[in-house]
Amino acid sequence: MEIRVRNVSKFYYSEGKRIEALVDVNLVIPSNRIFTLLGPSGCGKTTLLRCIVGLESPDSGEIAIGDEVVFSAEKGIFVPPDRRGLGMVFQTYAIWPHMNVFDNVAYPLQARNERQEEIARKVARALHFVQLDGFEKRPATKLSGGQQQRVALARALVAEPKVILFDEPLSNLDAKLREETRKELRRFLTELRITAVYVTHDQIEALALSDDIAVMRNGRIVETGTPREIYFDSDRQFVADFIGHANFIPGTVAATGESGTRVDSAIGPIACAKKTGAAPGQAVTVCIRPEFIHVHTDGRGDGENVFRGKVESLVFVGDACEGEIRIGETVLLFRIDPTAAVREGEEIALQFDPRHCTILMS
Amino acid sequence: MQKTSAALTPGLIAIVGFLTLCPVVMLILGSFSGELGAFGAFTLDKYVAAYTDPAFAEILVSTVIFTLGSALVATGLALFLAYLNTRTNIPGKFMFGVISLIPMMVPHILFAVSWVLLLNPSNGMINLFLRQLGLEGAALNIYSLTGMILVEGLLDLPIAYLVIAPAMSAFDVALEESSRVCGASNARTLFRVTLPVLRPAILAALTLVIVRSLASFAVPSVIGMPGRIYVLATHIYSIVATGYAADYGMAAAVGMSALAASITLIVLYRRLTREGEKYVTISSRGYRPSVIDLKGARYPLFAVVALISFVLIVLPILVLFYTSLVPYVMTPGAKAFAAMSWRHWVTVLKDPVSLLALKNSLFLGVGGATLGILLSFFVACVIVKVRTKASGLLESLSFLSFSFPGIVVGIGFMWFFVQTPLYSTIWALLIGYIATYLPYGLRPLTSAFVQIHSHLEESSRVCGGGPLYTMRRIVLPLLVPGIASGWILMATMFVRELSLSVVLSRPGTEVLAVQILRFAEDGLWGRLSALGILMIFISTALVVIADGIAKRLSRRG
Repeated sequence: MEIRVRNVSKFYYSEGKRIEALVDVNLVIPSNRIFTLLGPSGCGKTTLLRCIVGLESPDSGEIAIGDEVVFSAEKGIFVPPDRRGLGMVFQTYAIWPHMNVFDNVAYPLQARNERQEEIARKVARALHFVQLDGFEKRPATKLSGGQQQRVALARALVAEPKVILFDEPLSNLDAKLREETRKELRRFLTELRITAVYVTHDQIEALALSDDIAVMRNGRIVETGTPREIYFDSDRQFVADFIGHANFIPGTVAATGESGTRVDSAIGPIACAKKTGAAPGQAVTVCIRPEFIHVHTDGRGDGENVFRGKVESLVFVGDACEGEIRIGETVLLFRIDPTAAVREGEEIALQFDPRHCTILMS
Repeated sequence: MQKTSAALTPGLIAIVGFLTLCPVVMLILGSFSGELGAFGAFTLDKYVAAYTDPAFAEILVSTVIFTLGSALVATGLALFLAYLNTRTNIPGKFMFGVISLIPMMVPHILFAVSWVLLLNPSNGMINLFLRQLGLEGAALNIYSLTGMILVEGLLDLPIAYLVIAPAMSAFDVALEESSRVCGASNARTLFRVTLPVLRPAILAALTLVIVRSLASFAVPSVIGMPGRIYVLATHIYSIVATGYAADYGMAAAVGMSALAASITLIVLYRRLTREGEKYVTISSRGYRPSVIDLKGARYPLFAVVALISFVLIVLPILVLFYTSLVPYVMTPGAKAFAAMSWRHWVTVLKDPVSLLALKNSLFLGVGGATLGILLSFFVACVIVKVRTKASGLLESLSFLSFSFPGIVVGIGFMWFFVQTPLYSTIWALLIGYIATYLPYGLRPLTSAFVQIHSHLEESSRVCGGGPLYTMRRIVLPLLVPGIASGWILMATMFVRELSLSVVLSRPGTEVLAVQILRFAEDGLWGRLSALGILMIFISTALVVIADGIAKRLSRRG
């Protein structure tokens, strides 16, 4: 089901100060897609999710789920959360400690007074789906973090909602389990063909899991797009900086043409293959991600976008070496194969891939 | 739920405000009035009479010695026990948990009585025994300030322990370790580092015990009055309960100074516990208490702790039970065992006043605790869920009565109830109890509410459970342990209540503790002991039943 958020704003008052949690948010979440709200803590992503689910009511605007308007400040509509028919997985999982697994999962059906046999059948199916067959009688307090997460998912799915919402559901798992669960969740959600709204501050999670991402900052939506669009083509410094690592090199546009744009910078001219609307003479910032900087260990290298500098630091992080290189006054981050023969203090040459040099308007 | 709670706030402020402020306001008005009947005509006569009484200075001195003395005894013992528990390898650590639970088990008046039975100068069992050994006269006299201080100190030990033990175990060991590294000995480290850092906790414990002993009525009445040693609480009691005419105006005038002292001390206590957070460092990460090996002293110190537990729990019950069986006070031996019978028990169970007291106390315990917990539930709900100025006011109001001495609250309520048809009914006692002991129900319920993460309720709402359904299936079951411990605390306090009841209880509304006090005044030790054991039995039964019901309820969902 499609979710439409129109002109939604929400303010808090804390110690006499007005805090803008959401500012005039407009958003369409298409049906049967995994849609992620991504942003640093305090950007308003959880508030937006809670407004959609009905745990908070905005100060203005309108929210519609499918054909039903669930909130409208103008028309004075507020459908309480228990009548919105959604499923939600909380950050803390919110597994009720006084119930066993069966009662936790059966709860949404019991609240609707469904028949006993029907409940038993649906609970068994939901538990099978999250691979917790036979856990019915287990007390909720005797579950591991990963199992609690699955119970929360089963409970959110059991009543077959059209929309399921996730509030940072993986943030309480350890790194390895988080990765596994993320893959599993992706599989579950793709199988279900359900609209999923997912909130996270973890960019890798967002990129790996989503069909679409909306990046939020200070209560506003900064950019929306597919993970690839957001990662490769964002023309906003905040987005590029927040997602992955990036080098930002200030400069001025020297020339534009069919083959791309040339930017003059402190380290020399940089060729960028992407087309932009920038005009010659305009001040811009070139964004290049460390993984698109190729290192020529023989110190030679030729062609365009080749720069020479001294390796200032090199840190072995396992699957790669992360280094800093100084070219004049500019220090750039780069990543290389951990077995490459590069040492600190060495003079090396590096080359930017013009296809991945993004021009950000200043 | 938040909206409903917010709507409840004004009503609750009115109820709680009435309960806590009514006795204070009435006390102030009463102190400036004449007799109970002549209410309203302003006069300073009672203050003049109360504070120019030549005996008053002596009473004041006794009060100061008594409260300070018991504070020192209780805090000193608490420090000793807390140090042994948290810092040493003493065996049998479970006993420390037991010691901190005593106030639940032996009512103060019975504890005081058992010491009278052991140490009174004319026929105290220990004195009789010493006389058999050839010592002349009364070797030990409980009816003295020293006796009062020791008994009150033992009674307040658990409170001091509960303040000091957490501070002691939260203490950052690195502070001690660095002192040891600098070359200081264990003892030097204790006196130069450990105790100074714990100073706020120690001062807080001292202050709290002073407040408690100032409000204490059991020990001063059972031990102090026979020795003609009066403190403020017993002085107030004697003004209204003995002599030719009860003078409630003068009692109110004296009560004002006890109330003022209590409030000042509680304000001081709050400040100290707030400062405490600055000193005591809780390091959750890698916390590992360094344990001092007591070596040869392990078992002797264990024996001391065992003796303290014995004296606190087992001894009073043993003494009472023994006394309830023998015809008159005699040292245990063949003769005593031969003379044992259930005579006193039969007498008590046939005594209409004792039976009435039993019935009243049971009603007040069960009914009062149920009503009290109902009020606590709504108040706790508002305090935790609604964060407004009004809920802050409600919170301060509801914990205010914690600092009021019972007998003073009783005098204040007396001035109120005499204007109403509630006077000399059991409802007067019920209202007074709830007003005075509201914090006991509120504390466990607020912490229970705090522990329910908001997500637990919210996820029920998202799952399709309406507000009432959520309340019934999620909130209430999760609150059951808090409700049960609040109910148990209130019920046991109500069954044993003395200081408020001595003022409010009238013929027809006798309660257990007051009846026990009457028996003590008449020296009817056998009947007293039988009734006392019954009282302990009722308290224990209420605890066991409530706990059982709670366990069953919280297992369901």
